[in-house]
Amino acid sequence: MFEGSGVGGLIVLSLIALLIVFALFFPLAFFYSMLFGGFHQSRMFKKLLIREKRVSETLGGDNIHTLSTPINLQKISQTGLVMANISVGPSWWQLFLGGIKSIFGGQIQSFDKILAYGRNEVMQRLREQALGEGWNEVINVRVETSMVMNKVKGKQQNKMGTLEFVAYGTGIR
Amino acid sequence: MTSNTETIPGFTITKSLGVATGSTVRAKHIGKDILAGLKNIVGGELTAYTELLMEARTEALGRMMMDAAQRGANAVVNIRFATSSVAGGAAELFAYGTAVVVTAEG
Repeated sequence: MFEGSGVGGLIVLSLIALLIVFALFFPLAFFYSMLFGGFHQSRMFKKLLIREKRVSETLGGDNIHTLSTPINLQKISQTGLVMANISVGPSWWQLFLGGIKSIFGGQIQSFDKILAYGRNEVMQRLREQALGEGWNEVINVRVETSMVMNKVKGKQQNKMGTLEFVAYGTGIR
Repeated sequence: MTSNTETIPGFTITKSLGVATGSTVRAKHIGKDILAGLKNIVGGELTAYTELLMEARTEALGRMMMDAAQRGANAVVNIRFATSSVAGGAAELFAYGTAVVVTAEG
């Protein structure tokens, strides 16, 4: 009888411990997001700027454009589709700020930042992809945005979830 | 050859063989989903989803190319992509284009 109650007590204790861990995890994660989210994202931006500079220095210009005919006319022997993608999400702190801001309307700066990052990053990846695969130029570049992997049930669909950016164009050589 | 332009510069389209399509539906792995959720605390790139979607898109494109090859085409022009979220947590990637026969100009 005592042994039985001992096991029962252990289960109850572990359940309480689990509850405390969960109760602590979310506020702690939220504070972590508030303190380090901006720092983390600024570092990503800096890395991206360095890569953009390096590519534009090696090319002496840009190798992607949105026109449907090549700018530097040349004898074309091969074409192929070039793609790059990235999926990004705002931090919990940005979601919180954005949620408050969307009550009053107006520009939501916290979402601006992550969207700008995603779009610039995907174009940079396209440039690097084209360089890596040996295309001289990428024509007719299109950038698309879509919401992916978001929950369809309930109110979740109003929230900004994961965004996917995809950039694609026709590589020529 | 593949292209998302209506014509391929330097080549002439001699024959159109209809629309070639390819699609795939992918769902996320629960472990990766939890990890991505943790990554989402600070925001930024979610590498697991980036890889998953690129893999799916490449497969859809591959299926489209197979469809075009079965029609006897040697190129696909005007390729478009469409992404849609079917049933929570799953995404459909769809690629379509016009299967054509091209010959090099002069």
